[in-house]
Amino acid sequence: MGLTPLSEWSGQIGELVIGATRTDGGTRSHAVTIGGERDLPYIGIPPSGHIPRVAYELTDDPSLWQSAAIRTIGDRAHDPSDWAAFAEKELQPDLIRLYLSSTRRRGFSDLSQIGKTVEAVLQATKLPLIIEGSNDPALDSSVFRKIGEAAEGERVLLGTAESGRYRSAAAAAMAYGHSLIAQSPIDINLAKQLNILLRETGLPHDRIAIDPYTGALGYGFEYSYSVMERIRYSALKGDTDLAMPLISSAADSLTVKEVREAEGGDADQAAVAWEMYSMLPATLAGASIVCVRHPLSIAGLKSAIASLWNGQKSVGV
Amino acid sequence: MPLKPLDIYKLLPKKNCKECGDPTCLTFAMKLSGGKAKPEACPYLDDNAKTILGASTRPPVRRIRIGVGERALTVGEELVQFRHEKSFFHEPGIMIAVTDMMPAESIKKEVIFVRDWVLTRIGTDLRLNGIAVRSVSGSPEQFARAVGAVEEVADLPEVLMADDPLVMEAGLSVCGNYRPLIHAARLLQYREMCRLAKKYGCPLAIKADSLDSLAELSGLCVAEGVDHLVLDLSSPNLHALLNASTAVRQHAISRTTPALGYPVCIDTGLGGLSDASLIAGVTKFGSVLICDDLPGASRKALLVLRQNIYTDPQKPIQITPGLYRVGTPGRDSPVLLTVNFSLTFFTLQGYLEASRVPCFMLIVDTEGLSVLTAVASGKLQETVVRDAIGKYDLANEVSHRTLIIPGYSAPLSGRIEEITGWKVLVGPRDAADIAEFLEKEWKP
Amino acid sequence: MPTVTFLPSFRKTEVAQGSTILEAAQKAGFHMNVVCGGQGKCGKCTVMVRSGETEFDREKFGNFFSRDEAGEGACLSCQTRVMGDVRVLIPEGSLVQEQQILIDTPGVPVELDPAVWKYALSLLPPTLDDPSPDLSRLLWGIEKKGGPKEGAIYAPLEVIRQIPKVLRESGWKITATVALVPGGYRLINVEKGNTTSHCYGAAVDLGTTTVVVYLRSLIDGSIVGIGSNYNRQISCGEDILSRVNYAKRGGLGKLQSLATESINAALTTASNSAGIDRDDIYEVVVAGNTIMTHILMGIDPAYMIEEPYVPVVRRHLTTAARRVGLAVGENSGLFIFPAVSDFIGGDIIADILASGMTETNDISLLIDIGTNFEVVLGNRDWMFACAGAAGPALEGGEVLFGMRANPGAIEQVSLDLDTLEPSYRTIRNQKPKGLCGSGLIDLLAELLRACVIDRTGRINPMISHERIREGRQVPEFVVAWRDETSIGKEIVITENDIKALIMSKASILAACQTLMNQAGIERSAISRIYFSGAFGNYINKDHAIMIGLIPEVPVDRVITMGNGAIAGANIALLNRKKKRILDEIARKIAYIELNADPSFMDEYTGSCFLPHTDLSLFPGVERMLDQCRIRRVSP
Repeated sequence: MGLTPLSEWSGQIGELVIGATRTDGGTRSHAVTIGGERDLPYIGIPPSGHIPRVAYELTDDPSLWQSAAIRTIGDRAHDPSDWAAFAEKELQPDLIRLYLSSTRRRGFSDLSQIGKTVEAVLQATKLPLIIEGSNDPALDSSVFRKIGEAAEGERVLLGTAESGRYRSAAAAAMAYGHSLIAQSPIDINLAKQLNILLRETGLPHDRIAIDPYTGALGYGFEYSYSVMERIRYSALKGDTDLAMPLISSAADSLTVKEVREAEGGDADQAAVAWEMYSMLPATLAGASIVCVRHPLSIAGLKSAIASLWNGQKSVGV
Repeated sequence: MPLKPLDIYKLLPKKNCKECGDPTCLTFAMKLSGGKAKPEACPYLDDNAKTILGASTRPPVRRIRIGVGERALTVGEELVQFRHEKSFFHEPGIMIAVTDMMPAESIKKEVIFVRDWVLTRIGTDLRLNGIAVRSVSGSPEQFARAVGAVEEVADLPEVLMADDPLVMEAGLSVCGNYRPLIHAARLLQYREMCRLAKKYGCPLAIKADSLDSLAELSGLCVAEGVDHLVLDLSSPNLHALLNASTAVRQHAISRTTPALGYPVCIDTGLGGLSDASLIAGVTKFGSVLICDDLPGASRKALLVLRQNIYTDPQKPIQITPGLYRVGTPGRDSPVLLTVNFSLTFFTLQGYLEASRVPCFMLIVDTEGLSVLTAVASGKLQETVVRDAIGKYDLANEVSHRTLIIPGYSAPLSGRIEEITGWKVLVGPRDAADIAEFLEKEWKP
Repeated sequence: MPTVTFLPSFRKTEVAQGSTILEAAQKAGFHMNVVCGGQGKCGKCTVMVRSGETEFDREKFGNFFSRDEAGEGACLSCQTRVMGDVRVLIPEGSLVQEQQILIDTPGVPVELDPAVWKYALSLLPPTLDDPSPDLSRLLWGIEKKGGPKEGAIYAPLEVIRQIPKVLRESGWKITATVALVPGGYRLINVEKGNTTSHCYGAAVDLGTTTVVVYLRSLIDGSIVGIGSNYNRQISCGEDILSRVNYAKRGGLGKLQSLATESINAALTTASNSAGIDRDDIYEVVVAGNTIMTHILMGIDPAYMIEEPYVPVVRRHLTTAARRVGLAVGENSGLFIFPAVSDFIGGDIIADILASGMTETNDISLLIDIGTNFEVVLGNRDWMFACAGAAGPALEGGEVLFGMRANPGAIEQVSLDLDTLEPSYRTIRNQKPKGLCGSGLIDLLAELLRACVIDRTGRINPMISHERIREGRQVPEFVVAWRDETSIGKEIVITENDIKALIMSKASILAACQTLMNQAGIERSAISRIYFSGAFGNYINKDHAIMIGLIPEVPVDRVITMGNGAIAGANIALLNRKKKRILDEIARKIAYIELNADPSFMDEYTGSCFLPHTDLSLFPGVERMLDQCRIRRVSP
C-alpha cells in the first residue's frame, strides 16, 4: 500500500453538459461535460470527474475588448462568426464564449441583431457555446429571451445571473433548455445564496455553473482563488447548494498594468503569461472551465491541464 | 484545526490568578486558541494539558533555513492544507538554476540578475530568492568552480545539485559554511550525504521513487542525525507531482506520517512545462522551486501569483495611507477620498486613470478594510478624514475645499463637513462610475 | 433677537438670528424627534413654517416631503435657519412621544434581603444616673432591636446634628434608618415617630432612550410605584455616539443634569402615584450602559469611543444619591452596576442577573436588542459576550414608514397566503401611522412565507398584485391603503426597508454564531435564549426564528424577559447578596471584539439571507418554507 492523498469526502460535484449534438436535437459536433468530481482537482488515479476545459472568449463589439487580446486577430474581430470559425479551426479551444457586449452599450435596442449574431456564430462553429447577454435588469428579459430562442436546442451555457437580476436569465434558460452561469462577487456565501435562489425559481442544480468572479492576478485573484477552493471544499464536504462546476475568466488579468503597458510582442507574452498564471491556478482551485482571450494562451493551458490530469501530454522528457 | 477557546479553557486551572498576564483563564484560552499566547505562560498546567496544548501549537511541517544573512530563505512551518483555513506562511523560494558547464561570466551574470532584479507591487518588493547549481559535467572541480563563481558575486541562498557525494563535497568545500541546501540524498548514497550535511550543518534534500520510500529515507536520515530535511518531489509528470505534494501536505498536517513533515522541493525544469510546474509548486505546497529559465513575463506573473497565494486570506493587503496623484493634478483638481484596502485603491486608481482626469487620491488608514466595512466598523470616521487632510497638507495642495467621498460612506458626509470645514460631494458607490461622475459633478 | 412662535401651543422663544428652528424648539422645551442628531438625514424633525423669514435648502432636502407637505411649508427644523420672527407648526409626529416603554413586572422571585433597615425605637431619656450620650442611646437601641452592634455603626456628622432635637421633640420615640454600605453599617436617617412602614428603594434602568423607575417597599418587597420617561438627553443627540460627542464639546455637565432630571421625573411619577415621599427612598440602584452610567456619575466618557475603547471604571460604584443630583433621601445611597467593557455595560450585567443564566450548568444565549445589540453566551463557569451596531431598522428607524412602538404603530401583521391581504393590529388600536419593530419582523416573515420576497429580500416582480408595485426608486408592498391610515398616505414597505432589516438581523445572528463558534457549541446545546430590551417583549418568537434573527431552537426555549435591565436592578435592590456577585459576573465575561474576529464578516454575509445561507441551521424553518413554496406552485 502506498502513501496517497487522504480523501475523506462525502460529496460530489454535479455534472453539467454544454452543447447538444444532432442526436440531442442540436447541431454541435460534440457536447462537453464538466464536473462530476469526488475529490480535489486532479487528485486520484485517474482523477475523478471530467477534465477542466478551456473556453476562448470573443465579442460582438471589439471596441470594448482588450487590445492585447485582439492584436493578432485582425479584421476577423469585426465579425463574430468569422472570428469563431477561425478560433475553432486554428486555436482549438474546448468551448467558445461569445460576449454580446453590444447590449452593454448605452441606448442599446437592436434586439434582432442579437438573434442574428447568435445564429451566425452557431453556423460558423460547431463547438459548444457559452453566450453572455446583457447586464442591465431593464434589458435582461428581452435579451435573454432572444438569445435563448436563437440558440434553442443547442444547450448553451447562458451568462450571467446575479443575485439582483436572476429571474429573466433563469426563465430563458428553463424555457429554451439552456444552462446558466450564476455570478457572485468573490464570496462563498453570496455564491451559495444565488444557487439557492435559482433552485427556488425551479432551475435544476445540474443546469448551473458557478462564477465566483475572478479578480485580476495581483489585484484580487488571491480572494477569488480561495473562494473557489472553499466552494469546492464545501461541495465535497456535502453542501449540495455549492456542488456545481466552477467557471473562471482571466478577463480582469488582462487589464493589469503589466499587460496594458506592454508593447508589441511583449504585450502578447504578458497577456499569455498573465492568463496562464491565473487560469491554471484557477483549475487547481477547482474551476472546471477557464476562459481566456489571448489566442496564444489556449494551447499552453490545454497541455498544462492535460499533464496535471494524467501526466501524458507533457512535452520533452 | 486549532482548539476552540472553550476546549482549552477546560484544560486550564480556572484559578483566574492573572499570572499569565490575562484577567481570566477564559481570555487566556482565547489567546492560546488564536496563537497569540504560549502555553508556558501558565505556571499551573498539568502534564496532560501541556501535551495537548503543546501538540496543537507545534507546526507539523519542519522549519528549514537555507543560506545565511539578509537574503536567507526560511520555509516550512506550514499549518494548513487550504490557505483559507488560516494562511500559508513562508513563500516558496525561487531558485534560478545555473550549470557547471556554463562559463563563469554567464553564471555571474545570472547571479547578479537574481540578486538585483526586483518587481515592486502594492508597495512590496518581489524578488527571486537564490541560485541552484547543477552538476552536469560530473567533475568535482568544475562543480566547485561554478559554485565559486556564484560565491564571488553574491551571498544568495544556494541549492547544490549533485548526486555524487564527491562532487557535492567539492561544492561544499567552497560554500558549505553558508548553509546551502544539499540536493539530493537517495537511498543509495544517503549515508554519505548525511555525513556531509552534518559536517557542514546544511539542510538536506532527499529523493526517492515513491512516497513510501521517501518516508523511509526520511527516517533513515533522521537516524543518521540529520533532521533538517527537504522532500524532493520533482517529476516530469505534473499529475504525479501534484498528487505527491498534496499527499505530503495532508500526511504532514494531519500528523499521520511525521516522516513527511518537511518542506517540499520541486525541480520544475524536468517536464518541459516549467510554467505549469511552477504554478503547481506555488499553489500546491512547494517550498523550494528550482527553475532553469524564466522569460520576463512569466517571471513577473509567477512572483505576483506567489504574492497572491501567500497573503493572509483574512487580512487584506493595505496601501500606505497618503496623498496619491493620478496624472499631473493641479491646484483645482478633484480630491477623491478612499480607504487603504488595496483592492479598492487599485480599482479606483484604474478607473481614474481611464477617466483621464488628473486628480488626487486621499488614502486614509482603515486598516485595510473596504469602504463598506470601514464605515460599518467605525474605522472610517470624520476624525480620520480630518487627520489625513492635515497630515498630508491637502489645504496647500489644492485651492478648493471640496472632497469627493465614496458612495458607501455617504452617512459620514455631514460629520466630515462639520469637522473639516470641507465641502463633501458623495461620489458613486461603484468605481466604474467615477468617470461619469467627475464629468457631470465636478466643478472646481 | 427674532421670536419663534410654535403652533399649536403658541409657545414662544427668542433665539439669535441664524439659529435653527430645532435649537429654538429645544429652547422652548419641546422634545423634538432628531434621530440623526440634527444632520438633516432622518427627516423626523419636520416642521411647517407658517409665516416669517427662514433659510432652508429646499432642493437639497426636498425628497423628504410629499408635494402636499412642501406646499404647507414643510422643512427640516435642524436645517432651517431663523432669519426673523417666525411662526412654526410642529406636527405631532415630530415630537418625541410617549412610548410603549417596558415596565412589566420582573417575574423572577427573589428573596427579600435589602441593604437598608428601619428601626422604631422607644428610648429612655437620659438622667443624672444614666448620663450616656444621645448617640450611644440610639445605637444601643438599634442593637437591642437585633440590629448591628453599637460599635459597628458609623454615624455621619449630618445625622448626629439632627439627633438631639429629633429625640426630644419626639418624646424619645423615633425611627432610625441604617444602611449597609461598602464601609460597613451607616446611620443614614433619624426621624420622629414610627415610620418603619415608609422604607423604599428605587430600581432604575437608565437607557439611552428611556428611563424606567421601580419603587419597591424594602419592608415587604412589593412594587409601590412605577415611572418612566424619555431620557431627556435625546435633545442632545439620539444615539450614544452623538451624546459622547456632545460631551466632548463641553456638554458633559448638561448631559449629567439631563440624566438626573430624567430619573427624577420618573421618580416623581412613581412616588406620586404611590403617594409616598421621595425622601423615604433610601437606596437607588441603577443599571445602564457604560456610557450612560459614566455620564450620570459625571465621569468624562470622551476616551471610551476611541481606540482602545476603555472605560474609566468597570467595577460597581457607590456614592450618595444626592451627590449626583437625585431627589431622594438626604443620605440615601446610590449603587451603580458594574460593566464589562465600553460596550457591555451594567444593563447587560443586570440582564444576566435577571436571567439566572449564571446559576446553572446549562448554556444560555442572551440577546439584548436596541439600536446596538449585545449578546452573551455561557453558563455558571464561563461566558462570552460581544456587542455591535444593529442599526435602527429593528426599532423602526431607517425604514420609510418605520416608527417607534408608539400608539398607532402596526405591531402585528399577518398575510393571507392566497390573497396576500394583510391583517394587522396597532398599538392602542389606533389607525395605523407606521410600522414598529415587531410589526416589521412579522411583515418580513409573512412576505417570505407568501413568497412575495426571495431570501435576499427582493420583491418578486413577476407576481401581479395591486399591493406589489414599483415605488419611487424600488419595488414596494402596500401594507395599508390610504383610507385605512391616519397619516393621509399609504403605508408601504420598500425593498430598501427590507434590506435594512435584513442587515440588522444579520449582524445579530452573526454575533450569536460567532460566539457559538468561539465556544465551539451547536445550537442544540443552547437550553435557553433570553430576549431582553424593549423590542423583545412584543416579538413573535416564531417569526424571529423564521427570518433568522436568532438561531433556531425549539420555540419554548425562547424567553422574552422584557426589560432585563430593570429586572436585574430590582433584584439587586431587594437582595444585597446579589449585588456582591455582580463584579464576579462581570469579571467572568470574556469580551469578543467582533471587528477583530476574521470570521465575523463571513458569518455576517452568511446571515444576510432569510433565514441564513446555511439552511441546515434552520431545519424547521426550511420545512415550513418548502410547504409554502409547494402551496404556491400548486394552488
